[in-house]
Amino acid sequence: MMTDKAGIYIHVPFCLSKCHYCDFCSRTRADDETKKLYVTRLCEEIRVFGSELEGRPVADTVYFGGGTPTLLSSEQLSRILDTVNEVFGIDQGAEITAETNPKSADLLKLRDMRSIGINRLSIGMQSVHDNELKALGRIHRFSDFADTYLDARQAGFNNVSVDLMYGIPEQNIESFRRSVETLAVAHPEHISSYCLTVEDGTHFGNRRDSLVLPDEDAVSEMYIMMTEMLRAYGYEKYEISNFAHNGQVSRHNLKYWKREDYLGFGPAAHSFFGGVRFANSRDVEGYLNGKDIKEHSEKITDRDAADEYVMLGMRLREGIDIGEFNRIFDVDFMERYGNTFERFAPEYISIDDRRCAFTDKGMFVSNYILSET
Amino acid sequence: MSQNDRMKKIRNFSIIAHIDHGKSTLADRILEATQAVSKREMEEQILDNMDLEKERGITIKARAVKLDYTAPDGETYVFNLIDTPGHVDFNYEVSRSLNACDGALLVVDATQGIEAQTLANAYLAVDAGLEIIPVINKIDLPSADIDRVRGEVEDQIGIPAEDCPTVSAKTGLNIEQVLEAVVRDVPAPKGDEDAPLKALIFDSYYDSYLGVVVNVRVMDGQLRAGERIRLMSTGKEFEVVEVGTMEAFGLSKCECLRAGEVGYITASIKSVGDTRVGDTVTLAERPAEKALPGFKAVQPMVFAGIYPADGAKYGDLRDALEKLRLNDAALTFEPETSIALGFGFRCGFLGLLHMEIIEERLEREFNLDLITTAPGVIYEVTMRGGEMIRIDNPSNYPTTDEIEVAKEPLVKASIITPTEYVGGLMDLCQDRRGIFHDMKYLDSTRVELHYDLPLNEIIYDFFDALKSRSRGYASLDYELKGYEPSKLVKLDFLLNGEQVDALSFIVHEEKAYARARRIAERLKENIPRQLFEIPIQAAIGSRVIARETVKAMRKDVLAKCYGGDITRKKKLLEKQKEGKKKMRQLGSVQVSPEAFMAVLKLGDDD
Repeated sequence: MMTDKAGIYIHVPFCLSKCHYCDFCSRTRADDETKKLYVTRLCEEIRVFGSELEGRPVADTVYFGGGTPTLLSSEQLSRILDTVNEVFGIDQGAEITAETNPKSADLLKLRDMRSIGINRLSIGMQSVHDNELKALGRIHRFSDFADTYLDARQAGFNNVSVDLMYGIPEQNIESFRRSVETLAVAHPEHISSYCLTVEDGTHFGNRRDSLVLPDEDAVSEMYIMMTEMLRAYGYEKYEISNFAHNGQVSRHNLKYWKREDYLGFGPAAHSFFGGVRFANSRDVEGYLNGKDIKEHSEKITDRDAADEYVMLGMRLREGIDIGEFNRIFDVDFMERYGNTFERFAPEYISIDDRRCAFTDKGMFVSNYILSET
Repeated sequence: MSQNDRMKKIRNFSIIAHIDHGKSTLADRILEATQAVSKREMEEQILDNMDLEKERGITIKARAVKLDYTAPDGETYVFNLIDTPGHVDFNYEVSRSLNACDGALLVVDATQGIEAQTLANAYLAVDAGLEIIPVINKIDLPSADIDRVRGEVEDQIGIPAEDCPTVSAKTGLNIEQVLEAVVRDVPAPKGDEDAPLKALIFDSYYDSYLGVVVNVRVMDGQLRAGERIRLMSTGKEFEVVEVGTMEAFGLSKCECLRAGEVGYITASIKSVGDTRVGDTVTLAERPAEKALPGFKAVQPMVFAGIYPADGAKYGDLRDALEKLRLNDAALTFEPETSIALGFGFRCGFLGLLHMEIIEERLEREFNLDLITTAPGVIYEVTMRGGEMIRIDNPSNYPTTDEIEVAKEPLVKASIITPTEYVGGLMDLCQDRRGIFHDMKYLDSTRVELHYDLPLNEIIYDFFDALKSRSRGYASLDYELKGYEPSKLVKLDFLLNGEQVDALSFIVHEEKAYARARRIAERLKENIPRQLFEIPIQAAIGSRVIARETVKAMRKDVLAKCYGGDITRKKKLLEKQKEGKKKMRQLGSVQVSPEAFMAVLKLGDDD
């Protein structure tokens, strides 16, 4: 599994406001001084990490996630990229993604981002309906998304991903159908579509009892409907929640599912490198003060690695290549997992000598089936 | 000292009261006042030394303590205070404890007045021929109405209460009145220490060092270590290792127990089953001619299956039940197997409270998670062939066409309630197939209702329903009346076409539909969605009388991945796997122990 390539994740924990469902590590207070200090710390962390590492990998993907990374100036984003390049080297043809939100980057900014080498943009649209956006606590309207999307195209982004959400307040099957259709017509290269999960400690989490959401049957119907609609528009569902047109997958996110190496920098960033999973805590304040916020490190045992491989690999449309699995782990896939999966075939699982994967219907109950293994 | 002079100084008495009327607190004050325990040493309520008792405010097992009281006239008396259980489940134990006494303090709450248990216990005391001394308690409370309560005692129990002690056990006010009344009004014991030994067992418990410690009241004769005793109900004999008295802080060995005294015997006895409450101890060498009257071997009336939530804990559950049985002759258990729940035990209890106590002790003291099936009673079924069988487990209930006649146990219930709740309570009794006998006005505000009720209607949630319909004011007492023919059916439940044995129960035909519907709904609410639709059916024989469906699960997915946080995802999946391990596999359906409990704890009023 070891390669000399790695994905680099950069966390930017700043947002204009906190959405009602958001469980990510982000804060809404960030003056210029704070941002400046934050970038300094990031660059320090990357350098220190790199200096302690033997055999540095070359970055073939870089991903600015958040928060809202475009709240940093293009100069700041550039400085971070320069540091990554200095320490690891960035591959020719690397995928360099930045997340953004409507209203958080104008045409000028997007042009600058494009010019410093960012070649993929991921925009948090979530819905085309303003009432649903409001219910989510989003600060933008649909028209703001349209502006940002068109600006991105104009700025030269030819690889754009858009986020959608379903299972959200005020939504019904029909309104979601319009969201999916509107988006598909706009034709981004990539769509990530997530079902709302109400997390403890969020605005929604604190109001679970009064929250009215589409029920399980409706949400399941939305999922199937979305898969079919997007397929008709030429999108392949290559992962449970991700759709790509013409194979324009998220190379960075694929590393998570394929257990390839990635290094995360900034609070709450996770890494998997050399068979070890490690992570930083969510302590933004401590990070700004120069505190070491490494909090978790786990060497993955062989047994765990095989379980992870199955858990993650099964998220993908292509599923598990059984021959490859047997080679890597020197374990018989059919013996260890096959019986369980076969119980759910053919309705939820498709399985033959070479491959084991979820069907569309199976994907949406994947936890239930994985928890049987 | 002649035996007469010796006995003149002894007072054997107990305290009887309705729950919450302050029995334990009064006992504490008596212990303090006789200086058996100093205030500083006193942990609240020494007599009730099980945690459970403290929480429930009731005494589960009888306890006794010997106290020395020096009266104002300078004479020193021996008080044997014998505590009694305070719940109908333990009526027989109460009656035996009372038989060990010569008098009883009847505690009545000055704010509540007489309640069903007060009356029931007072009648038991009267039956036992005891001198009853009313004690009006809680006179410190603003709502105390001493005169009204005095009137109630005189009218309803028929004993004078003009000069009775009026106290506050809580503050200690007038406690000396109680002590003086004991000296003055409780008769000294009678008996002949030269006659053959007759000692009444009123309690026994297992001690891991001493074996069974038998608490007795010696009626006639005397007993010393080394003598051979015989238990008259079984004829079993043991050699006495030690005799002594129960002091406030433990056992105190003495040379001899004589007529009129209360004390303990140890004789290397292994099981409390050999020392049944109410039995008579005599000497093997010189036995009494006749045993003391009133002995009966206690029979469990309520039965339920108890299973470990984790099947691997079966051995632990057996060990725990065996330990509890060392001290509880009324608890019975037999291994049983359920397809749904695995290996467990069919346990017999005196009543619902007894059952709850056993469950709680198993869970707390032995750290077990349990699944308990719906409680049931013993049914007497006469088969077509003429054979009579007794059934304590619904699984063994014959099919309708094999049954000639089925009988169920009835109880005589007495309910005392403020008049405004009579209507609601009569409806309740009617609904529970009660047969009305009479209604007696105790005074202008309270009524005593008499009903015959099927025991299996009472053991569900009758007590809770009674309390909720009377805002907590009504009280209940009951005793077994006998068996009556009844139209009983066995109700089965099927999940995905397969019968779940642990859910079956026996119910009156008229109640079957409503209960079947309710339980089917409960099952639907509690069975998690699975990948296929699960039909739930309730059936009598092959006739389905209620139906529900658990829809198929359609969503169970973690859509979002948090920036490569795989650890979090793994943990969620691990948790889900753990949950699944606890599930019971019923054919093709998985059901959590919690779901079982939610269904089995069903009361039919809700």
